[in-house]
Amino acid sequence: MAGARFVDPHVLARIQDLELLARTVVDGFINGLHRAPYFGASVDFAEHRGYVAGDDIRRVDWRIYARTDRYFVKQYEADTNANFAVLLDVSKSMGFASSGVSKLEYAKYLAACLGYLSYRQRDRVGITTFDEDIVAYVPPSAKHFNVLLHTLDRATAERPGRLLPMLRLAAEHFKRRSIVALISDLYETPDDILDALKPYSFLGNDLVVFHVLDPAEITFPYTDASRFQDLETGEDAPVVPEVFAEQYRAMIREHIEALRSKCSESRIDYVLIDTSKPLDEALFQYLGNRERLMRVR
Amino acid sequence: MSFLAPLFFVGLAALAIPVFVHLIQRERRTVVPFPSLMFIRRIPYQSVERRRIHNWPLLLVRAAALALIVAAFARPFFHEDPVKAAAAATGARDVVILLDHSASMAYGNHWTRAQEEARRIVGTLDANDRATLVLFDDRVEEAVRATPDRGALTAGINAAAVTAHATRYAPALREVESLFGRSDRARKEAFFISDFQKSGWAEQEQVRLPPGATITPVSVADLETADLAVTGVGVARASFSGEERVTLTASLVNRGGEPVHVPVVLEIDGRAVGTKEATVPPRGSSAVTFDTFTLAEANARGVIHAGKDALPADNDFYFVLSPSRPLSVLVLQPNDASADASLYLATGLRLSQAPPFTVETMAESRATPASLNGRALVVVNDATALSSPMASALQRFVTQGGGLFLVVANNTSMGNGSPLLPGTLSGPVDRLSTRGGTLGYLDYSHPIFEAFKDPRNGSFADIRFLRYRTLAPAPTDHVLARYDDGAAAMVERKVGSGRVIAFTSTIDGDWNDYPKHGMFVPVIHETMKYLAQYTEPQAWYTVGRMFDIATPIAAMVQQGQVSGASGAARDTAAVVVTPGGQQVTIGGGGSTSIALDEAGFYAVRLPGMAAARPYIVAVNMDRNESDLVALAPAEFIASATGQTATVAAGESYDRNASTPEDVEKRQSIWWYLLVAGLAALLIETAWSNRLSRHAKRAS
Repeated sequence: MAGARFVDPHVLARIQDLELLARTVVDGFINGLHRAPYFGASVDFAEHRGYVAGDDIRRVDWRIYARTDRYFVKQYEADTNANFAVLLDVSKSMGFASSGVSKLEYAKYLAACLGYLSYRQRDRVGITTFDEDIVAYVPPSAKHFNVLLHTLDRATAERPGRLLPMLRLAAEHFKRRSIVALISDLYETPDDILDALKPYSFLGNDLVVFHVLDPAEITFPYTDASRFQDLETGEDAPVVPEVFAEQYRAMIREHIEALRSKCSESRIDYVLIDTSKPLDEALFQYLGNRERLMRVR
Repeated sequence: MSFLAPLFFVGLAALAIPVFVHLIQRERRTVVPFPSLMFIRRIPYQSVERRRIHNWPLLLVRAAALALIVAAFARPFFHEDPVKAAAAATGARDVVILLDHSASMAYGNHWTRAQEEARRIVGTLDANDRATLVLFDDRVEEAVRATPDRGALTAGINAAAVTAHATRYAPALREVESLFGRSDRARKEAFFISDFQKSGWAEQEQVRLPPGATITPVSVADLETADLAVTGVGVARASFSGEERVTLTASLVNRGGEPVHVPVVLEIDGRAVGTKEATVPPRGSSAVTFDTFTLAEANARGVIHAGKDALPADNDFYFVLSPSRPLSVLVLQPNDASADASLYLATGLRLSQAPPFTVETMAESRATPASLNGRALVVVNDATALSSPMASALQRFVTQGGGLFLVVANNTSMGNGSPLLPGTLSGPVDRLSTRGGTLGYLDYSHPIFEAFKDPRNGSFADIRFLRYRTLAPAPTDHVLARYDDGAAAMVERKVGSGRVIAFTSTIDGDWNDYPKHGMFVPVIHETMKYLAQYTEPQAWYTVGRMFDIATPIAAMVQQGQVSGASGAARDTAAVVVTPGGQQVTIGGGGSTSIALDEAGFYAVRLPGMAAARPYIVAVNMDRNESDLVALAPAEFIASATGQTATVAAGESYDRNASTPEDVEKRQSIWWYLLVAGLAALLIETAWSNRLSRHAKRAS
């Protein structure tokens, strides 16, 4: 469905059915741009690695041994279905919308689309929503796509959030290696966020961070001196935008770049989502990145 | 603390302007919801919170520096407590505590405060000091003689009480002068505790204090006072059906700033006979007239009550009412005298109302000594009574105080040795050839002629005397009038307690036209009043006056109440009951008078009065005490000692404190403030520079 590309988020917002929305966006993409994160016994060769004691000698590539006089073991792509889990931040800051679609609504579309994409590949899908606590936890399952959609449907931004503790808490749920998509506005310092994400990497999860921001958070279009109120804490502070805006923009840019670079260093995919941009553009950007990564791997 | 130039404090207002602008120039209260203030809070201050005060201590130091400098320019000074200042000095002191206990000190809490001040002064005495407690009103009493015993002084202060006397400062100041004159100590300090009533300083007398002596006024006066006083009672009398009816009018004065509405009650002999409502304007007066009533008995006690206020003593006014009794005049004339020989005299006397006269004309042959009983005076109209058996009775009558008017004319031929005849009598003088003589000299200083001193009150020039007897007065006799040829026309002689006046012409118009002249009646009235020693009955006295026993005796004799009073006043003893219930005996060889020290009624009882009502004396406090307007103690000290002082009402100051400029100059607080202000500015400069460097380094 080529015409579904670059659908305006405002138009998507009129579609109440998340499954239909996901199909609308996802259909037409190439299937299976991502692969399972496991290396295992399958027909698809992945790479060679040096032999270590204990390896099955049946997997030694004797041709290589003949050419190089060294033992190498063949590795194959696993052919099992992957776990796909969404970590969705539903704290109050996600309810912010400078115009039309709020960050949470956009995140819901995104999660639905990613879930649908995985569901199409017969992956197991699950979701965890959190704010200052875990709001809902749906473990990954091949049958949980509808539950995921239902969970998304019920998610509202009502309470302040505690991103870092919740990330650490949610990591305990991932016993199997999974593809984890974190969707949040990430209002913490990049170092702290990366610290909180480390357990996911240690467990061998494939982590994708979707940094959802409203355009007003990036461009800071305000002009009048006002009191700005923190949606999370309710605190406020006086702001004189004419002097302040440039500094703010610089800081948010710095924040984004820090996240991007630190995620990259930690082999975590980082995708900045601007809620004013079409959803499939974001998906395309993400899947494109994944494709490149798979090729590198 | 006070300031010599308080206008400099206007400069402090400028301090508030930046702070005020800072505070009111806040961001608009538009609230913009934003996901997170994480970055906003990190942004350097100046753009977001430049309108907040960053460093309160620094601001306070700046403000303090400017405030100190402004305060220095305002030139502050502290009022000194002279009592403590005096006590702080070294050396033994001779202290005189002058405590005003006049009637005005009963106002509000003045007396309590005055006692407290006195006790406070006693409290500052040390073991080497000695103090004298002097109580004064219009008198001076040394209540506690110079002593270091604080207990005795405090007891004296506690025992002192407010009197009904007026305030007079001069005697108290003279007492200080006298006490200090006797003192051998170097430090002599007087504390003058009073309400400093203006009315108490009528006499501009100066006292000379010895070197080193000081007077410290301690004022207990209030700046604002309110007092209503009854200042007097007017009595209007009228006769009706043979009885005397009296209409009383009370005068009220309001010395406060607010109008007073008060019920005014008239009491006669303890019974309320009338109540009227009165409204007295602020700082004004009013009068209340009561309904007319019949006055039956003498010596009725009257009181006017006009509410109650902070000075209750002047809300009551005491007075005595007695029906006016006519003076009884006996006219003795020759047996063969015509019926109208005394017509002019009798008719003229009956015209008098104050006092009224009753005239009885009698032929001298019918007169007996008993005829003199109850008479105020006797007129011997050209009769020979002085050479008859009546002479001795007349002499006794005059000696005891009776009056005698002798008309010396044709029939008078008494012996020259009569003690009642003022002079030596000769034959008649005819002035027919010169169209009659006139009066060439009158003693206008004499009470009889005093009223005619003013030419507008009549002239004696056109009275013609065709004949008169020649009377050569003795050196002790007093010639009241002479004819134009120098012959005596009226001569007075005092005999015992009585008075005799001889007139050397007739009063029937035979020898002169005097009875037909307009001056005849008034002169006859004045003459008879003088001879009868008549004085207007005094309805009330003022506290402080002396009261002599002769007054009730004379009154009772005139009224015929005491028929047997034949001795001199000094020999008659009277018992006086004071308003406080104390009994005092006067006369009887001792003191014949008593000081009226209390407000109220004094009852005087003489021997032989039996069940008759006693003679009553009403006494009121001096109404000047109601005027609570206070002197500036500084002026008082200046006029009393010739030295300047600065004293305000309700505060205590040392005489040597002089003007505020002097006090400020001596204290020089401004200098310290200026130094402190400059030091604060230096600290502020160093501090703010340091903060700026830190800020630059941080940015």
